[in-house]
Amino acid sequence: MTTAQAPINSVAIKTVVIVGGGNAGWLTAGRIAAKHKTKQGGVKVILVESPTIAPIGVGEGTWPTMRSTLIALGISETDFIRHCDATFKQGAKFARWVDGSAKDFYYHPLVLPQGFGKADMAAYWHQERHKERHQKQQQAQPQASFSNSLCYQEAICEQGLAPKTIRTAEFSAVANYAYHLDSGKFGTFLQQHCTEKLGVTHILDDVIAIQSACNGDIAAVETKNHGAIAGDLFVDCTGFSSLLLGKHYQVPFKACDDILFIDTALAVQVPYDSPDAAIASHTISTAQEAGWVWDIGLQHRRGVGYVYASKYCTEEQARATLADYVGPAIDGLTVRKIPIVSGHRTRFWQNNCVAVGLSAGFLEPLEASALVLVELSAQMISEQLPAHRGLMDIVAKRFNETFLYRWDKIIDFLKLHYLLSQREEPFWRDNRDPATIPQSLLDLLQLWRYRAPGDLDFTSNNEVFPAASYQYVLYGMGFQTDFSHNEYLLDNRDFAAQQFAQNQKMISQALSMLPTNRELITKIRDYGLSAV
Amino acid sequence: MADFIAINPILHATLRIAPEKAEIHSRGIQLLPVVPAEFASIATQSPIVLTKNGQTGQFVTVAMLGFAPGENLWFSDESWQGAYLPLQLQRQPFFLGQSGDNGQGDYVLCIDPDSPAICQEHSTALNATQSTAMLFNENGIDSAYLQQIKGVLAELLQGEQQQQHLVQALLAANLIQPLSLEITFANQQSTRLNGLYTIDQQKLATLDAATLVQLHQAGWLAPIYTIIASAAQLYPLIARKNQQLTGAA
Repeated sequence: MTTAQAPINSVAIKTVVIVGGGNAGWLTAGRIAAKHKTKQGGVKVILVESPTIAPIGVGEGTWPTMRSTLIALGISETDFIRHCDATFKQGAKFARWVDGSAKDFYYHPLVLPQGFGKADMAAYWHQERHKERHQKQQQAQPQASFSNSLCYQEAICEQGLAPKTIRTAEFSAVANYAYHLDSGKFGTFLQQHCTEKLGVTHILDDVIAIQSACNGDIAAVETKNHGAIAGDLFVDCTGFSSLLLGKHYQVPFKACDDILFIDTALAVQVPYDSPDAAIASHTISTAQEAGWVWDIGLQHRRGVGYVYASKYCTEEQARATLADYVGPAIDGLTVRKIPIVSGHRTRFWQNNCVAVGLSAGFLEPLEASALVLVELSAQMISEQLPAHRGLMDIVAKRFNETFLYRWDKIIDFLKLHYLLSQREEPFWRDNRDPATIPQSLLDLLQLWRYRAPGDLDFTSNNEVFPAASYQYVLYGMGFQTDFSHNEYLLDNRDFAAQQFAQNQKMISQALSMLPTNRELITKIRDYGLSAV
Repeated sequence: MADFIAINPILHATLRIAPEKAEIHSRGIQLLPVVPAEFASIATQSPIVLTKNGQTGQFVTVAMLGFAPGENLWFSDESWQGAYLPLQLQRQPFFLGQSGDNGQGDYVLCIDPDSPAICQEHSTALNATQSTAMLFNENGIDSAYLQQIKGVLAELLQGEQQQQHLVQALLAANLIQPLSLEITFANQQSTRLNGLYTIDQQKLATLDAATLVQLHQAGWLAPIYTIIASAAQLYPLIARKNQQLTGAA
């Protein structure tokens, strides 16, 4: 054996090639380059982007994880907000999901319920509510919802307030928050940061062929004008075309349209009436006949879209529903139609190739899972980047297990939103057919008839949706848990009463100190947030 | 803010000011903006800290005069008890306004018409013992008092720019850190100070040579060390508070 031909298993991972330049490509490039000191001569990161294929640009809603992602990339929050048309998001408001009436709504906020993890507050809340029901039967007063009784964030959102003030440091919060952003601008912003600050090499070219090594690994990608680009790890960020994982490796796609019926999106960008129009501080999701409408407020426009199941509604009907929602402002605006193929690859990491973003899979944007899956993937790849090829199969196996679990859990959680509706349209009735519900979710629902969702219902130490999220959706949708069998457990009423009172106090404090979402964004544009 | 009234020799020919009463403006001020040129004087009596402007979120350097909003432990018996009177109090009841609709025009000398330092014509006669000052002499020329006020305002204007440059230099060098303090007073009541910042001494001690030279050449080392040294004034300030708590009993 000559020194030039070391056994393939001991080849160090020195070059990562990312194919595709959407947000998935740049976030992955950035995470790896920041962690592995690309700029200082560490792992080389090359991003090859087709000059002819425009990114899909899905995902205008993030999770709070985006704050730690931006920090890991060394990005200033002020710069991010100024360049990406970004605003603050404090969860989602689900309107008309329960019975379809005008007053029907609930929140899935980002702050945990008051006292969560210290006492079974969901049970105490049920008890309070039953008491109230008896007292108020004649007075017909609205009952305190789960989210409003135990979380101060709903009140903040209802008032259109921001989750912090101009005096709060970058990435710090008064109330936990994520962002809404312009996906296209975010991509450009990330590209500039990754190439200028993090040392990522950017090649604009089309990949025309893939060169294989004898062990089945990808040795290089051949480009039209830059020849073959060799690497030790290849990241497939080629969007729906899934060039490396799907086309080259033929890793099967597992559809989940038998569980989640939505298959089409009609999207439109709606300008504000005036430059100082209010910006909603949360995603608004309004249920419709055959799906739901998203409504996301950015700085200069709203992003609105109807996602629906074409089996239950024609495109013409869907366009009418969207026009109804947007109002006369829709005249003259371009409505973009985007097909949604719900599902994911059965493996995400094969040989020395890992897929991130749409190439790995996609689900309806009900809980903004697209960008967070990209972030989680990029984080795991960068933090667990194997030292040499011999370790890669172990990392790949663990990555696949982790992400198959995460996709399953997200599918379960999305489905949960549809199960408890009392809407009667065929789309909604069919969604409640047990044959369309994953067994894992049916099992949990049985348990939750007698107790609230708890952390031990889930087995990952890094669960995508915590038990609190299940509580918000279940009790927001009016799910009934019968706590009577375990009433003896509710022996700390003083503590519970304190939590309800504390939440009321937090509401009034927050309402008195927080500016509106629009005011804060304007101030950040004018003055900036401080790093400390 | 009170109304804007521009000073002019005809309108204000007979206006009299009682300069000592201007100190009443410090009543209830917990954090008083101070400029680098007066740090050394301030540091002989108060801690100098940084806080964020409520409207803009930008850092400002302030003298800490109390432990809670509305508390100024240096103000009692209707007067300022310190040996050094900060520029922000010396200037009272005057301030510089900016003309033009957008507030970007020339600076104009203005007076706070509600100031207790303005002598009402009748009360002047009654209070003959009080020392008062006119703004203009009989020829409409600035009086020595007004000249002195204008000097203070000019010093403040320049000082505020310096203060902003100092803050920028501190931010660029990552030298600002939150100040977390929990203080228990003589009556066992404790308070937590929020929203105050100071110099990160550890970062300062490990600054790279180039940054250190920059700070030195810009003249910021003295103000930085004065801020650090002024922290010792926290103890006399606590003593003042304790005295107020126990002395009143």
